[in-house]
Amino acid sequence: MEITNKSKSLSYIKRYWILYLMMLLPLAFFIIFRYIPMGYIQIAFKNYSIVKSPWEMGWAANHGFEYFIKAFSNRDFLYALRNTILLNFLDLLLGFPAPIILAILLNELAFKRFKKFTQTVVYMPHFLSWVIISGLALQLFAPTNGLVNIMINKMGFASIPFLNEPAYWVVTYIFLGIWQSCGWNTIIYLAAIAGINPELYEASAVDGASRLRKIWHITLPGIRPTIIVLLILSLGHILGSDFERPYALRNTLVTEVSDVISIFVYNNGIRGLQFSLTTAVGLFQSVVGVIFLFGANALAKKSGERGIW
Amino acid sequence: MGFRKAASILAISTTLALALSGCTSDKPAPSASPAPSASSAPTSNTAEDSSDPRLEKLGLDSNFKFKETHKITVEIYDRGNDGGTKPEDNFYTQYIKDGMLRDHNVEVTFVPVPRWTEGEVINNLLAGNQAPDISLTYSYPTIQTYANMGGVLDLGPIVEENKDILPDMWDYLTEANIYWDKDPSTGTLWALETRLNVLNRINTFVREDWLKKLNLQAPTTLQEFESMLVAFKDNASTLLGKDADKMIPFSTSFDIGWRADHLTSSFVPNNLTDKDIYIQGFDDRHFLFPNYKEGIKTLNKWYNEGLVWKDFSLYPAGDTTEDNLMKMGYVGAFIHNWDYPYRNGDDSIHASLQRLVGPDAAYIAVEPFANDAGVYKKFLSGPVDRKIFFPATNKEPIASLLYVNWISKLENRVFLQFGEEGVTHEKLPDGSFKTIATTGEKIMNSPANIDYTITSNGLNLGDPDKTVKSIANGYAGVDSKYIEIANQITTHDGRVGKNANVGEIKAEDGQGQALKEKRDTLLNKAVVASVDKFDAIYDAGMKDYLGSGGQAIIDERAAAWEKYFGKDTMLK
Repeated sequence: MEITNKSKSLSYIKRYWILYLMMLLPLAFFIIFRYIPMGYIQIAFKNYSIVKSPWEMGWAANHGFEYFIKAFSNRDFLYALRNTILLNFLDLLLGFPAPIILAILLNELAFKRFKKFTQTVVYMPHFLSWVIISGLALQLFAPTNGLVNIMINKMGFASIPFLNEPAYWVVTYIFLGIWQSCGWNTIIYLAAIAGINPELYEASAVDGASRLRKIWHITLPGIRPTIIVLLILSLGHILGSDFERPYALRNTLVTEVSDVISIFVYNNGIRGLQFSLTTAVGLFQSVVGVIFLFGANALAKKSGERGIW
Repeated sequence: MGFRKAASILAISTTLALALSGCTSDKPAPSASPAPSASSAPTSNTAEDSSDPRLEKLGLDSNFKFKETHKITVEIYDRGNDGGTKPEDNFYTQYIKDGMLRDHNVEVTFVPVPRWTEGEVINNLLAGNQAPDISLTYSYPTIQTYANMGGVLDLGPIVEENKDILPDMWDYLTEANIYWDKDPSTGTLWALETRLNVLNRINTFVREDWLKKLNLQAPTTLQEFESMLVAFKDNASTLLGKDADKMIPFSTSFDIGWRADHLTSSFVPNNLTDKDIYIQGFDDRHFLFPNYKEGIKTLNKWYNEGLVWKDFSLYPAGDTTEDNLMKMGYVGAFIHNWDYPYRNGDDSIHASLQRLVGPDAAYIAVEPFANDAGVYKKFLSGPVDRKIFFPATNKEPIASLLYVNWISKLENRVFLQFGEEGVTHEKLPDGSFKTIATTGEKIMNSPANIDYTITSNGLNLGDPDKTVKSIANGYAGVDSKYIEIANQITTHDGRVGKNANVGEIKAEDGQGQALKEKRDTLLNKAVVASVDKFDAIYDAGMKDYLGSGGQAIIDERAAAWEKYFGKDTMLK
């Protein structure tokens, strides 16, 4: 039994050896650029030195956990943690459904040309870097010189502090995030919608279902697996943080909500040279991300979905 | 057959993996021995030895020229200026390269580093073992941090032993600057302090034509200054016509510490001791000086009365929005670098104002902020500027020092500061230089090529009289009256910083940036706070600042002062 299995897989390799050979390249990529660098995780537990390899650095105090203790007793880190969770949670709450709704709307458009045109228009912001978007935001939303506020002033109202008051800034941040990425994220949903069997729509039309009914009973259930997979993946990012977006949009008046973990790492690691501390923070971030990923996946499986593996 | 194929796949894959991992795994391990080449620099035992065998050992001939070509890399700031040339490859870098090759047989390669993020970039280069052989930064703590990790060469023995081959460097930087950072207990020297020739720092500017239009005298007290701002605001339609709603009586930026310094310094008691200045002075914006808060409170009051530009805190460093508002003529007064409106030739604020608003429009420096003793005191820095250091990866300390020496030589630095006669300067009958703004390949990317003359900030022609005249001539298209006034006021009643050298303050390690951020955050929030909340916001921010490392630095500095100076409160 075993022997036949073995010879079976051997003959398999023999027949498709080219494919196996091709697999080596991506495998090598992951080993070299994803797994070997993980050796540097130990910097989190050691006293960093520029002239030593991580294997030679001395262990940090408190059984190597000194920098974790330091991070969690650092007020700025706790704020950064709170802000990361707050902004990512709001992003998830408002930003996650947005492309689904947009994809369904696009799908319902009758004129092919208009649909293509609209799609292109909503994709476009995805290609702008955050530095440019923050420049646009300043031009539009600055309290005295911003176009939007000039218009508001001309209508006789007071300027709205879109960028310079923490609560408003959060709204602007989330809004700009949706504006930038919503169109691009529809692609995957549109593809999923395209995969739904058209017979279902025809049958429901015969039964006299309205458009909304079709969306509710056919389109949404049809793309449910896609939604779940993407939801699990975004839950894995709940502690992950963009650097560019908050860094480009922040200013000194809103640091209490804008300074997320990545900015903390930048200020204390790259600018402050506290590499062990920031590696510890990064490691913490990743571990929490993995926990969320597994948790969400298990939940999805429990409720009868396929999950991501 | 099958086995052979499998074996060959295995062979290929292992070679591939080995080859690729080989590349990565030897990268992180830098030189196992940090700085042996430095401390054991080639030397003969006594200075009395004839210098020949020593030069021989260094590979130099009697003209200090290497017999074999040596190669070094040098950091250069990149300003990304409009119409500028490549910072690492242009007319002036070619001059340096040719000169170094001719005089010392050293091949120089320049490494551009963005000016406004130099600290971060040099950190990255150091961490990646990629830092240029000659590196420079304004941040001494960065150097100290890397030195503690063994990443920086100790220059102490090298500069001492090779004094004879570095005459221009010793002559120009002087012992004071060279040993400025020498650790008093360990004797190590991680960096050379370069020379700040002109101690000019900042000035308070107001629109001269507006003063005239409103029949006001140049303000000489805080009260007069404030009334002037109010007058600007109240007469916006006289001054700006249909653009009246654009009026900005006083503008500032997120960097309040710099952009309000004359105002805040006037609240600091006149009898501040050197000890106070040292202990409270690690923040270069003087933010911890006693009574500083009152200065910010004044700004807060102005802000709430609508006298300060509302959007100041939103724009990051290097943003030109505020400059453009000045150029358009909307800004009445501001505090900034001592020659800020006049620098940059045709693109200067002054030139733009004259073009866009009219020939009368100009900013003039004023001196309205006196302290409790009626003195217009300005806190100036010591005569030090950028810090030159050699990372441990520098295998050419002698060639690098010869570069520092070469760039300190009068003839070379004067050429770099003024360029070619008839192109970037003309010689006036009195012997002084007058710069000419130019474009194209001989454009200077930085004022007087400060980025290339790494040992000098500011002019020094070897003759003080000529130097002062040349400074005033240095602003093409600006009436020298404005420059003279600005030059006079900016250091008037100045208190020059002294070197309280007590060695390393451990608490400062890695804290610089985080504390700077906190300072800016606190000052910005305090300025825009409503008047009744000002105290609460300022005090809370200060508490956070001190709690996040500020107090530890103050305490350590106080202890270090006591150790080296005892009960003295003033430096000699």
